[in-house]
Amino acid sequence: MTAGVVQTGTDELPLGSEDQPVATGDTSWYRLVWSSGKARVGIALLLGFVLVAVFAPLIAPYEGTRTDFGPLLPPSGEHPLGTTSQGGDIFSQLVYGTRVSLLVGLFGGLVATLVALAIGMVSGYKEGSLTDDVLSFVTNVALVVPVLPLMIVLVAYSEVRGVPLIVFVIGITSWAGHARAKRAQIITLRNRDFVTAAKFAGEGTWRIIFREIMPSMTSLVAAGFVSAATGAIGAEAGLSFLGLGDPGSISWGTMLYQADAQGAVAQGLWAWVLVPGLTLALLITSLTFINFGVDLLSNPHLRED
Amino acid sequence: MTLLQVRDLSVRYEPKSQPSLTAVDRVSLDIAPGEFVGLIGESGSGKSTLAMALLRLLERPGRISGGTIRFDGDDITHASQEDLRRRRWRDIATVFQSSMNSLNPVMRVEAQFRDAIEEHSDLRGDAVRQRVRELFEMVMIDPKFTSAYPHELSGGMKQRVNLALALANRPRFVLLDEPTTGLDVVVQRSILDSVRRLQAELGFAVLFISHDIGTVMELSDRILVMYAGRLAEEQPAASLVADPLHPYSKGLLGSYGNPRADTVRVTYIPGRPPDLSRPLDGCRFAARCPEAIARCTTIEPEFAPLGDGSAACHVARLQRGPGAGTVVGLPEPTRRFAGPEFVKTSADSERALQAPVFLTVDGVSKVFERRRGLRVERTEAVRDVGFSLRRGEVTALVGQSGSGKTTLARLITGVERPTAGTISFTGSDGTQTDVERLRTRSLRDYRRHVQMVFQDPYSSLNPALTLRYALTRPLRNHRGLSAKDADAAAAELLETVALTPSSRFLDRYPYELSGGQRQRVVIARALAADPELIVADEPISSLDVSIRAEILELLHELVRSRDLGVLYITHDLLSARLLADEVIVLNGGRVVEQGPALDVIRNPRDAYTRTLLEAVPNPFQQVL
Repeated sequence: MTAGVVQTGTDELPLGSEDQPVATGDTSWYRLVWSSGKARVGIALLLGFVLVAVFAPLIAPYEGTRTDFGPLLPPSGEHPLGTTSQGGDIFSQLVYGTRVSLLVGLFGGLVATLVALAIGMVSGYKEGSLTDDVLSFVTNVALVVPVLPLMIVLVAYSEVRGVPLIVFVIGITSWAGHARAKRAQIITLRNRDFVTAAKFAGEGTWRIIFREIMPSMTSLVAAGFVSAATGAIGAEAGLSFLGLGDPGSISWGTMLYQADAQGAVAQGLWAWVLVPGLTLALLITSLTFINFGVDLLSNPHLRED
Repeated sequence: MTLLQVRDLSVRYEPKSQPSLTAVDRVSLDIAPGEFVGLIGESGSGKSTLAMALLRLLERPGRISGGTIRFDGDDITHASQEDLRRRRWRDIATVFQSSMNSLNPVMRVEAQFRDAIEEHSDLRGDAVRQRVRELFEMVMIDPKFTSAYPHELSGGMKQRVNLALALANRPRFVLLDEPTTGLDVVVQRSILDSVRRLQAELGFAVLFISHDIGTVMELSDRILVMYAGRLAEEQPAASLVADPLHPYSKGLLGSYGNPRADTVRVTYIPGRPPDLSRPLDGCRFAARCPEAIARCTTIEPEFAPLGDGSAACHVARLQRGPGAGTVVGLPEPTRRFAGPEFVKTSADSERALQAPVFLTVDGVSKVFERRRGLRVERTEAVRDVGFSLRRGEVTALVGQSGSGKTTLARLITGVERPTAGTISFTGSDGTQTDVERLRTRSLRDYRRHVQMVFQDPYSSLNPALTLRYALTRPLRNHRGLSAKDADAAAAELLETVALTPSSRFLDRYPYELSGGQRQRVVIARALAADPELIVADEPISSLDVSIRAEILELLHELVRSRDLGVLYITHDLLSARLLADEVIVLNGGRVVEQGPALDVIRNPRDAYTRTLLEAVPNPFQQVL
């Protein structure tokens, strides 16, 4: 083409084309999350928990499931937090319990997020169509069904109990709220010009939803995942506390269940009750703090203060 | 006697995570009581930041880092918010850029006036109501709307209400920051007429900020031109038009032309403003300036009196100041911007009007239905419209907002289906397509031939994806290229729209580009499918006035070299004249006039066309 006239693009280079960094929009996500003090605390705490879970065999003095010590030993060098009435080492149980909580948090959060994404995104993108009516109906049903009784029933009637079952139950009972949020979000995004432009480029529905629209929602998906994970950890502890946990493994919830069943409070065995309870609270706090940082990604107004 | 005196005012932005920059740098200005002063500059020139600093409304991370602001002799540079509260709305009032949203949506309009009036005067009860009615009549709104909620008012009415609110306490100074941006041309014209009339009647001083030199020029006594945070020029409006000093002012003026002339010439300013977060040497405009001489790149020109006003330009000073003619190699004094130019002659069009018809719109209507409970509301957006487009010809669809022009674009591109009528397209291979009956699969095939360029390049490129992705997708989908071929073709497309070298741009994200560059990418993407028709929906209206001609020229060049048909949708008859061979004027969903562009503009037959023509801002009106 004879571009003799349209030469202005040539001397105009994109920002930061030389060695200088780009001035605008270049703030990478990890730096943004890290810029929040609360998120830093949360990340440090979570990292601590992850290390404890990974190196549990090195940190814990004994196997978490061992119950052959003397019952109700006071804290000592051999048993830093004492023992339970069945003769389990509280400290070791606590350390191994971290594994269950983190696993359930990770996979429970993932399952809930994936289900929410698939249903919320498709129904939002097809808003007003029959597909949306059906998916929204399913979402609404899932929203109104009382979650805790449903979880209890599902777990109580299942043949095998174990972490995978807990993850599955938590996943399929807690996606609905997140699906709603994602549906609402995609409705505001799907009429953007770039979506119409993608249609003009000949793109199919799935590619438009997950390749064009979803990147703009990454921070919301991340925030949704963190809160789903928090919910999953809480739900696992709750189910275990009600005695519906996996009998073959130790989690903070089962520790609380046993402490409650043995009347630990009445006997003044505070460490047995408080330590798993506080650890659970600390883990959930760390995730909540991380979400403060993730919030900065999705809401630029929070960045400068 | 000055009302507002600003001396060496600087404003710095110091964000935590980004380099800090001086958005307003040592700006001095005076405004006398009752004076109408215009402030112009392209986006990013610091004009809105200056406005916020004058109103003392700057928020972190911005702050006033130097200089003084005096209002009526009192230093308000560091006055407390409580002091300012007493002055605001009584001494200093404003109409904001985003004033469409600056009325409280949950309060009746009258209550909002009552707040402002009772705070600053002794009027109470019925006296306030009386005053509000007076104010409404002043801005020509029926006083029955005093009890309305903001959402019941149209955009233009809201803006009039904001103007009335600003005038409620008879302020001595009113700051108008792009008060008509986003409004329709015709509405814009009537609001500006009100501003001018009221200013003459009530005698308040005005600082009118806009990027559109045309509108500012018609209203103002005196003009300030701002570039990259500094004042470039100050002159009385009439002499600025007749004899601009700074090349940047010449460039801004060059964006206008006379649409009635046989040959229209419009210049544009290549390049983009400097990055203010980096150290700057010499004149800030030097890199884009066609008149620059050696010293421009090293010595910063001083803003000092020259001719009828003041200017910060070495060349202008050497040409006119004492000792003129002593420097060798100085360019000749000129009134025009000696930069790139877009020329449209009437001969261009005659050739295009001979081409064969390839898209026919016949008797098309579109009714939108909205269900409200049991009632069905019907809006007729387009009524019985018929026209045809020719291969290699540019047809402009002109009308104000609500005239149905965007609906027509959506019908032609198959986004919507017409309620009645037919749209038929004949491809270059002779195949006939009935657009109104297309289903998903065949719609995709149709879009091989018909592509779209969007209004806002900031929203039509996906911010999360690279240019490579944006350009290769249509190549792979429509032309079935392999990943490797698509890459090469994408690079070629970027070269076509003059983004060279393409390797430098392919892996960029849209936010790294300027508005003009983005629009080039949008055009490149539309070209990817190798279409026969491009529907361009107001492709320049969200760009700075100074670079609009650049995009028009690119489109013009593509039409000529590729035998491409363009349906150019606009509200602006000047740009329609620049680009189009044929003009179709729409009003209220109906075609009121159509014909060759020059004929329609020279001899408009319909009253509505004349209204549109009069609304085109023309800075040269005062001189010609």
